Amino acid sequence: MTAACEHAIEYVYNYLDDEVTVTRRTRIRWHLRRCAACTSAYDFETRLKQVIRDRGRSEPPPELFDTLRALLEEERANPHLDE
Amino acid sequence: MADQADFERDAMQYAPQLYSAALRMTRNSADAEDIVQETFLKAYRAYDSFEEGTNLKAWLYRILTNTYINKYRKQQRRPSEVELGELQDLYLFRRLGESSGASYSAEKEALDQFVDTDIIEALESLPESFRMPVVLADVDGFSYKEIADILDIPIGTVMSRLHRGRKALQRKLWNVAEERGIAGNDT
Repeated sequence: MTAACEHAIEYVYNYLDDEVTVTRRTRIRWHLRRCAACTSAYDFETRLKQVIRDRGRSEPPPELFDTLRALLEEERANPHLDE
Repeated sequence: MADQADFERDAMQYAPQLYSAALRMTRNSADAEDIVQETFLKAYRAYDSFEEGTNLKAWLYRILTNTYINKYRKQQRRPSEVELGELQDLYLFRRLGESSGASYSAEKEALDQFVDTDIIEALESLPESFRMPVVLADVDGFSYKEIADILDIPIGTVMSRLHRGRKALQRKLWNVAEERGIAGNDT
């Protein structure tokens, strides 16, 4: 584990979140090209992030849109009735 | 300034995402629906004050989280440092690697075995102050700056909670993998 590895691992989330400076991004990319271990770690974290995004969301009940439309309709007819 | 007459047209597309985020916060569907309804009503009433062309999705999420906090969190609870403990970086990656002695592809394959409910339960197991930044970043794809605005906390706090929250999420997933034997021990 070199200093460059430590740097890459420290900023793995910032990098994947696209929240690093151009300089840091370049430095990390440079390192990843020559370090298989860090590349594996980055690939893993990329995949994990994708899995969380794909599987961490729940579908709303089918009537949600109708409920919200009716709510806004009611509000237009009788503004601030519940206040 | 936005026109109230356009609210339904502009905002309705975000309802499913808002519902899902509300469900991660409240952890039950009746409360989640309540919060989304209240959010829509408040947003509709305040829509004249929304500056057109700015970030409507983030604006709605801010109303959503405020509604949740006011309704369900009576006292503001600061996250305690001991709540999560200290965890190693790349926690799940390293555990999976150790357990299988595996090649990198086996670690990635282990990820594919987590189903929706595994991910959802792991997210919902996080302490609230960590759960919200993680959901906003990883599920909803907000930037650090947007999360700071939505939760009304400094950007440095967003980053540290996100960092710690993600590690705790990885530990939870590791527990699931171990229990189920999908960590590669028996293959």
